[in-house]
Amino acid sequence: MNPTTEKGRPLVYERLRRLLFLVPFVSRNQGLTVDEVAAAAGLSTSDLLEDLELLTLVGRPPFQPDDFVDIYVDDDRVYVDLDQRLSAPPRLTAAEGVALASAAELLRPAAGDALRSALQKLERVLPEQAVQRYRDMGRQLDVTVEGPTGLATLSQGIVEHREVELDYLTANRATTERRRVQPHELFSFRGQWYLSAQCLSRGDTRLFRFDRLSNATLTDVRFTPSPQVRARLPTTSESEKLVRVRFEAGAAPYIVERFGDEARAVGEGRVEVQVPGESERWVTQWVLSFGGDAVVIEPEWARKAVATAAAAWL
Amino acid sequence: MERTERLLDLVALLLDAKIPVPWSGIHASFPDYGGSSEASERKFERDKAELLELGIPIEFKQANDEHEAGYVIDREQYYLPEPGLTPEELAVLYAAGSASLASGAFPGRQDLAHALRKIGFFADGPLPVPKVRLELGALADAKELPGRLELLWSAINARKSIDIDYFSPHSRELTHRRVDPYGLALRRGLWSLVGYCHLRRSIRTFHVHRVRALTVNSKSPKSADFEPPKGFALQDYVAHWPWQHRFHEPVEVELELTGTLAPLARQLFPDQSEGPTVIIRATDVDGLIKYVMSLGPEARVRGPAEVQAKLQTLARRVLASHAEVTQ
Repeated sequence: MNPTTEKGRPLVYERLRRLLFLVPFVSRNQGLTVDEVAAAAGLSTSDLLEDLELLTLVGRPPFQPDDFVDIYVDDDRVYVDLDQRLSAPPRLTAAEGVALASAAELLRPAAGDALRSALQKLERVLPEQAVQRYRDMGRQLDVTVEGPTGLATLSQGIVEHREVELDYLTANRATTERRRVQPHELFSFRGQWYLSAQCLSRGDTRLFRFDRLSNATLTDVRFTPSPQVRARLPTTSESEKLVRVRFEAGAAPYIVERFGDEARAVGEGRVEVQVPGESERWVTQWVLSFGGDAVVIEPEWARKAVATAAAAWL
Repeated sequence: MERTERLLDLVALLLDAKIPVPWSGIHASFPDYGGSSEASERKFERDKAELLELGIPIEFKQANDEHEAGYVIDREQYYLPEPGLTPEELAVLYAAGSASLASGAFPGRQDLAHALRKIGFFADGPLPVPKVRLELGALADAKELPGRLELLWSAINARKSIDIDYFSPHSRELTHRRVDPYGLALRRGLWSLVGYCHLRRSIRTFHVHRVRALTVNSKSPKSADFEPPKGFALQDYVAHWPWQHRFHEPVEVELELTGTLAPLARQLFPDQSEGPTVIIRATDVDGLIKYVMSLGPEARVRGPAEVQAKLQTLARRVLASHAEVTQ
């Protein structure tokens, strides 16, 4: 059997597609440094040098001197003199197209936005014989509902440095407010999406939760991104308001999956974890979501908050 | 001669050829194709299959007045054309792709990395720095996940059966299963595998992070072990929302969102109008109740009465376990 990568594809397959990219890449970007070419090809420097050495052996019959690929390193820079018609990379394979389209689907492209039109153009440059396979494979990977709506608009705002207006509901107010923000970064953590942005209405860097945000629209006002301090979620190690929560045996295995060694066994199959208590609302709702299988042990304010919320349903 | 080298030589020959190159010409030019004619033809066929797998359009042309029968690469179909992406389109596509790549847990990572290189090929100037991050593996121990996803993705595409040891946190037991893998789906930061389970004799959904051992059937790698059923759709098997697991007949539940939740009906529940009333067809009422509880007391069940009673039972349980401070 052929040697395979740990990922299941034959090594020769990976190397071949890398080399078919490398020649045209260097041909178009003559004189880049060895490190720059290695980075662009996703290789270590030594692997790149090995690839370049192999390429100098590649040619076509009758294998006269001018029939070989002429690729070389001179003074730490890489050049191609003869590319033997490897002047552009091959088209995307069906699998490459699907991987890219699925990644794009995570950002929930909507009709008319840049991501949707990019995907349409992508499909047009697939080889004819790959289009059907691309569509079939696309049905085997489903990430479409992962991202909330509005992600594509905000990612466009981020890459084009355009201010965005959005409606936001803060935890302690009963109405939504229209905010104007300079979007910096989008990220998802434990299935929840957040936008880190400079809030012009409030004058500081904030985290916006996606499930409290709506009607995001791009404006035509451009901004210069600052090497900003990123707004971050509080982590357990930084938190100054830790809350200790105990889980009944039924819920314990699921908690161990999420928390690993941080989940401490406390007998009778139960486990305890500590979570940041900076947001009383978050702690309360998280504990409630286990429907009685989670109990706050301390501090008292958190126990009281959970009890008060539960009592409100009775 | 190394196989990679021979394959590249073949590409260089056929890309340059103005007329189809007959097998006799290929055979004569490559010492590697020496030996008996049957063995060397088989070797060439394997090489050709490898190149086709990489999307290289090698074609066999019948003889005509101008040339003998032979092989060519259709240049038009080989070269990646300029896709005509605007800088904005390239930037968002790049942002999406790089974020998935950096997340570490995305099937087809190598394909994705290549795709990004190719779409960036025609870019003038430096490629955009993405500002989108995905932390998909909402798990403490996700070390095995990237490799598993990659292996599953290759098995799904090649239609090869897999053998897994699957851990159930409910029974806390490992079961060994043979599965025909149909597809992967991502929900709330967790990957699910959908496929036909030979043990349970039905289509089942597995959490990829609960797969403890995984091997792909290595017999006849080029031929498919199964065909997914006609009309199979992943979304029929993977719940988007906690009340969509198919545990019982649908129950129509009326919810009311009050206070700060009132304007959020459309974000918190799919396919809803403005709110504050939300109607849900639940096939997992327990899942719905826990979801409602996770929204806090501003979310209420208005009916039916038995669903209301279930929520109140859980609320009483929570209250009892936190009781001493409320008195």
